[in-house]
Amino acid sequence: MNGPLSASGARLAALLIGLGLVVALIAGGALFLGSARVPPADVLAVLTGRVKGVDQVVVLSLRLPRILTALLAGGALAVAGAGFQALTRNPLAEPSVLGVSSGAAFGVIVAQVLGLGTGLVEAVGIAACAFAGALVAGVAVYVIASRGGGLPVHTLLLAGVIVGIFFSSAITVLISVLDFDRLGGVVHWLLGNLGPIGPASLAVFAALTAVGLWLVVGQARPLNLLALGEESAQQLGVDAERLKRRVFAGAALLTSAVVAFVGPIGFVGLVVPQILRMLLGPDNRVVIPAAVLGGGAFLLLADTLARNVIAPAELSVGVITAFCGAPFFVYLLRARAPQAEP
Amino acid sequence: MTRLVAALALAGLLLPQTASAFTVTDQTGRRVVLPSPPARIVSLVPSVTETVFTIGAQDRLVGVTDFCDHPAAARQKPSVGGMIAPSLEGIVALKPDLVVATPAGNRHETFDQLNRLKTPIYLVNPVSVHDVLDLIARLGRLTDRAEEADREAIRLRQRIRAVSARVAGRPRPRVLYVLWPDPLIVPARGALVSELIALGGGDSVTTDGGQGYPRYSLEAALARNPEVILIASHDATRSPLVRSKWERFTEVPAVSAGRLHTVDGNLMHRYGPRIVDGLEVLARLIHPGAFEKAGAR
Amino acid sequence: MTPPLVECDRVGFAYASAGAGAFAIRDLSFDVRPGETFGVIGPNASGKTTLVRLLSKVVEPSSGRIRLDGADVAGLSRPEVARQVAVVPQDVPRGFPHTVEELVLMGRYPRAPGRFFESAEDRAAARRAMEAAGVLPLRETPLDRLSGGERQRVMLARALAQEPRLLVLDEPTAHLDLRYQAECAALLRRLGREAGLTVVLVSHDLGFAAELCDRLLLMAGGAAVRVGPPESVIDEAVLESTYGCRVLVDKHPISRRPTVHLVYPPA
Repeated sequence: MNGPLSASGARLAALLIGLGLVVALIAGGALFLGSARVPPADVLAVLTGRVKGVDQVVVLSLRLPRILTALLAGGALAVAGAGFQALTRNPLAEPSVLGVSSGAAFGVIVAQVLGLGTGLVEAVGIAACAFAGALVAGVAVYVIASRGGGLPVHTLLLAGVIVGIFFSSAITVLISVLDFDRLGGVVHWLLGNLGPIGPASLAVFAALTAVGLWLVVGQARPLNLLALGEESAQQLGVDAERLKRRVFAGAALLTSAVVAFVGPIGFVGLVVPQILRMLLGPDNRVVIPAAVLGGGAFLLLADTLARNVIAPAELSVGVITAFCGAPFFVYLLRARAPQAEP
Repeated sequence: MTRLVAALALAGLLLPQTASAFTVTDQTGRRVVLPSPPARIVSLVPSVTETVFTIGAQDRLVGVTDFCDHPAAARQKPSVGGMIAPSLEGIVALKPDLVVATPAGNRHETFDQLNRLKTPIYLVNPVSVHDVLDLIARLGRLTDRAEEADREAIRLRQRIRAVSARVAGRPRPRVLYVLWPDPLIVPARGALVSELIALGGGDSVTTDGGQGYPRYSLEAALARNPEVILIASHDATRSPLVRSKWERFTEVPAVSAGRLHTVDGNLMHRYGPRIVDGLEVLARLIHPGAFEKAGAR
Repeated sequence: MTPPLVECDRVGFAYASAGAGAFAIRDLSFDVRPGETFGVIGPNASGKTTLVRLLSKVVEPSSGRIRLDGADVAGLSRPEVARQVAVVPQDVPRGFPHTVEELVLMGRYPRAPGRFFESAEDRAAARRAMEAAGVLPLRETPLDRLSGGERQRVMLARALAQEPRLLVLDEPTAHLDLRYQAECAALLRRLGREAGLTVVLVSHDLGFAAELCDRLLLMAGGAAVRVGPPESVIDEAVLESTYGCRVLVDKHPISRRPTVHLVYPPA
């Protein structure tokens, strides 16, 4: 697909079907790969319900949920990044720039450090603490950035960076208080913790992601108009303030859900939307829906690598996304002239 | 003749001076030269603090870290902060003549600073059970409590042998030790816990994960069909709800047989005398049948 | 007498960030008749840009009323205003990534803001607009490859795609060289004549405004100084007191419209 795609329903549907097939292929392949070395015949047997035992646990309770989690998280991060980039008209914007990732991570670490009333923490779950932290950060960014009823883009970026730095520093302080036993676990979590999560949690994650996706994807057309500048967009009938609030809320929700369930994973939200824009053109109505599947595929590939390349030990998926994503991004930048050069 | 005697006498006076200089080699092979046996020791390592109390040398201990919480009396000692960023001022204010630290927990920057301040540092780095026993002996020599230290080491060795005897000859169950559940972190080659599991008569399923305590694949761990799963808790009050996440894997032998246990991580991750307590706990969980009769502890 | 298309009735506006008492627009009253070309001129900070914002509902008046075809703008939604008023800005932001056709299609948004994709009717309207502005052959071209004059016509096409009743041009000749100024004038005249479009032209180029407009509004300090045909507004005494410099008013040799010459200080 060279050059910009003109937006039309049929073309978008074809693109999404194509991407969907790619995702299904990758997901299918990932089911067969893993450090438990289940022979392919056994995997099929498990899928058709003919075999029970540990293999069933591995394929259905571990690999399958992990694949679904990776797809959800990747899609959520990519859409949050795409939305935020369109909103701020800044290609460097990504979910962690919102400060929300750091807030969520902080929430989790606070819970782990304080072991707050064990019953309460475990019952409500680490996920809820992450969510709370993310919301605090998101609200802080919003409050700091708001000016006279509006949300100017440059203050939003600044506020996001400041809040992010604040929470990162707070995390560092907390880590230094942690005793050595827990330090390793927490540090590993901070690199991203994509693992199989139970069906109830997965359902909650899916629901939160769906809400966030709806908030952002639905605004794709007005986001295109934002490229004209806020004033021109308003003169075309766009309610810019409402648009910013919705996309900000959607991106924040998506990011905090991801951090709550799989820890902070960087790079996906920054790179995947950029790659998609280079390949598919600047129309958000194509890029953002494609990001749902493209982000999922990207993270799933990265995670499949992370859990197989040094089996049975595992790499953090955040390491893979950075190491593999960065060179690919550089290649794209050099191979294709960017769409717009000032 | 008188000059010879005078010279000898002078030499005699001088010799004891150099002979009384206290030189030791620390556990990383560094030579540490002190003017005399240390009387004011700051410990930056919780296991060292524990050991010092065990051998009765706590009078020489003038400073500990926030994490030195065992025995309870250790908390009464002045603290210099955490392991990663202890307060240098705090250390210096205590006027120590020796600081005991570990490269596996304290930072190089701390050592550099202490070197600049010309404070002698004694480094410890126990990795195996043998190292831990050796550390007890060293601390004994360092604090002039060599007898007590040796006695303690002998006692500990006896207990270890007792455990080995009880589990000898029994088939080794496959053991999965969970240092941290999420992400899964386990003991592998060279980790002390792996050695304890082996001594306790178990066969750890994660020894192929690399060195030390790596991040491990959950499916690989479960695919090995562990017969015993031990989850380390990091404070005494860890609730059983963490276990419920593991209890859904009913196909795994350990879960279906109800052999999913929580263990006190402090016993096994602090490389002090309590690792033998930890060993006994592990052995009882791995081979409950071997300890039916109330055994002497 | 046909009712005015635009009515400004004692409109006042102050930016929230300015200090209290600093008004960008003060007690401004004027109207624009349907089909006329109406010019707004005045020195910097006279409130011309603010007036454009008020007419397009980017901001709302703190006092007074603006009426579009009899309806109070305050009661209209943004898309409703955008269906009637189309603003042609000076330029697009740097790095604008879309093609000409994509930009012109954006003008169809106010007609159906709920739609995800544009309809066939939208595409047809966009084609008509591009044709009227003479940019149809450029439709697949990304904007950053166009010259200043071409970009301006593209933005005009976008405004026309809105199918507005009122076209507001904000400094249309700011970045144009002579040839494009002439083309712009021709295009605006044709649109006014053939499409019956009402045009509000905000410009600091007094000659251009005098040439094209049926009536002019001279603003200073947020208030109206004079409204009327070019001959009455372009008057030496009035301009000198408004702009604070000496001018000479003459007649264009061909069109006989007023022209303004700045009297430069002596060397």
